[in-house]
Amino acid sequence: MDFPLLISTFLTVFLAELGDKTQLATVAISGTSNRPLAVFLGSSSALVLASLLGAFAGGSVATVIPSDLLQLLASVGFLVIGGRLLVPLVRDGEANSDGDQTSES
Amino acid sequence: MLFSTFTTVFVAELGDKTQLATLLLSAQSGSPVLVFIGAALALISSSLVGVLVGQWLAKTLPPERLELMAGVLMVALGIWLGLQAASSLWLNAAS
Repeated sequence: MDFPLLISTFLTVFLAELGDKTQLATVAISGTSNRPLAVFLGSSSALVLASLLGAFAGGSVATVIPSDLLQLLASVGFLVIGGRLLVPLVRDGEANSDGDQTSES
Repeated sequence: MLFSTFTTVFVAELGDKTQLATLLLSAQSGSPVLVFIGAALALISSSLVGVLVGQWLAKTLPPERLELMAGVLMVALGIWLGLQAASSLWLNAAS
């Protein structure tokens, strides 16, 4: 068992992922939901599966599906999650200010 | 919740996998399985850290404030990623 290789891979990937967009997404999704276990399982299984694909398919993933296209898809995902969080807040804000203008009820 | 977290993280990470794929390929002469185990453990730990930080923030900040911050962060990441991908697509098309 080549422990130095295991440990150096672990440290490299762990440090590279700290503050990465996927971790920021995990923080945001976990903080705004009350299902931490589901978020943890979803996020870690996605990461492991993605790295498994990377390991076995290697560079070929990027040639079958252009990584730019995937990034574009991911950006839409982020926008949808962000929009889902922000839209109710804006609606509530409007409802509250309407309430203030009309009556105290 | 499980599904939406999975899809978002999966798609975001797939586009970002070139780096890791190179790392894993570079170790293919040695022991790729060990490199995969190390990478997988690191990724699981990083999502555990992410979930714990999120839970801690949820306890510390009022929920509306956190939702606003998380929403702004997600939209900002979405715009940033989209611009990066679009500009790179544009450059590829031009060349």
